[in-house]
Amino acid sequence: MTDSSPENSQITKESLFEKVLKTKNVFLFVPNLIGYARVLLSIVSFYIMPTRPYISITCYLSSEFLDAVDGHAARALGQCTKFGAMFDMLIDRCSTMCLCFILAMFYPKWTFFFQIWTAIDVASHWLHLHTATAKGSDSHKKINLSGNPILRLYYTSRKVLFAMCAGNELWFSMVYILHFNEGPAVISYGGYAIGLWRIILYAVTPIMILKQIISLIHLYTAALDMTVIDETERGNQTKNK
Amino acid sequence: MTDSSPENSQVMKESLFEKLLKTKSVFLFVPNLIGYARVLLSIVSFYFMPTHPYISIACYLSSEFLDAVDGHAARILGQCTKFGAMFDMLIDRCSTMCLCFVLAMFYPKWTFFFQIWTAIDVASHWLHLHAATVKGSVSHKKIDLSGNPILRLYYTSRKVLFVMCAGNELWFSMVYILHFNEGPTVVSCGGYTVGLWRIILYVVTPIMVLKQIISLIHLYTAALDMAAIDGTERGNRIKNK
Repeated sequence: MTDSSPENSQITKESLFEKVLKTKNVFLFVPNLIGYARVLLSIVSFYIMPTRPYISITCYLSSEFLDAVDGHAARALGQCTKFGAMFDMLIDRCSTMCLCFILAMFYPKWTFFFQIWTAIDVASHWLHLHTATAKGSDSHKKINLSGNPILRLYYTSRKVLFAMCAGNELWFSMVYILHFNEGPAVISYGGYAIGLWRIILYAVTPIMILKQIISLIHLYTAALDMTVIDETERGNQTKNK
Repeated sequence: MTDSSPENSQVMKESLFEKLLKTKSVFLFVPNLIGYARVLLSIVSFYFMPTHPYISIACYLSSEFLDAVDGHAARILGQCTKFGAMFDMLIDRCSTMCLCFVLAMFYPKWTFFFQIWTAIDVASHWLHLHAATVKGSVSHKKIDLSGNPILRLYYTSRKVLFVMCAGNELWFSMVYILHFNEGPTVVSCGGYTVGLWRIILYVVTPIMVLKQIISLIHLYTAALDMAAIDGTERGNRIKNK
């Protein structure tokens, strides 16, 4: 057998992959490598977003698809890390935010809506994660099951969570694409036609609204939790004096 | 003396303020009340931002001024809370972000710059605060003095911190105002004039650039911290098996 035989190449490839899996360097964990790919795809997406809709949306949705993949990879490979969870959260929030920049540019009359929407999105996720960390939870997705029932459903079913996030991202993607065209005509009635992008938009609008309501609930419950932590600490400080 | 005498009114007013200071409800603490005022001012500011520059900037800069006040109030009144610190951080990040929305709208060619700038601003502050919280620091502004020297200077001198933040906010405010006019003429040389807003912009540009470099340093050191925490935890888990 020569060095370039299939068997040796197979062994060499396995060793490389195994090496990657065995690394102790958190920055080289597979889910975080996926994260770097997501960052790159997102940056490319935003650079061309004002002018090239299809490449842009392809990059953006690829990044969102990888968002589902990196969690699975982390659990399958035993490479879940606090850094990875934070990295994931930051990419999500920043990419939605950057998309909203473009949408505010395309639809100036809706600027205020996109500003408030993004502010609530960032603030609710940030406060919720911060409170969970301060309380000492392993993951902000593990919540007290005796808590708010809507949040409970949102987090106990992975399918519900996925559908909500996917539907929400689709809404923003459709708003973006609709700036350029209506999409292939799906319904033609007399002279009246509705394009595919608009139909998808209408279909996912309830999901977008529901997700925003859930964000507000997050904001509210996280604020309450933070003040409980504060009041407990202040109570302890008073006792120890 | 009647009930409406000045002495009785004075006594009543003191009791109300004293009652407020004695409240155990974190949501009613004075620095957080200031926070609600900041949120209101910011929302009004963004609503008017596309069209009414002076009302908008007056509200925005008032909110930023109150940002300096609420910290002082918290320390003087002994009303520092984790909730308040988080609330303060969220208002800061969201108001800068929303201002950048409008700037991207005014200067479409600079959209990509504002997107990246805002993403780095949010991500660096968020990751830094998260790493500090996980490490158990009392305040994200109290950092390990044996750490990065640039960050050390940034945080050990309140005056440096104030100048950096104020200069940074001024940069964005000037970029905003310059969309509408150049400001009162300051320099007139032959047929060449330079307005006040542009001069202020040039003066604070180095501060804005430096603050962004500091944000990137924050992002880098916080990522290292998170990975170190993860590394330690994974090491402990292997030992405990």
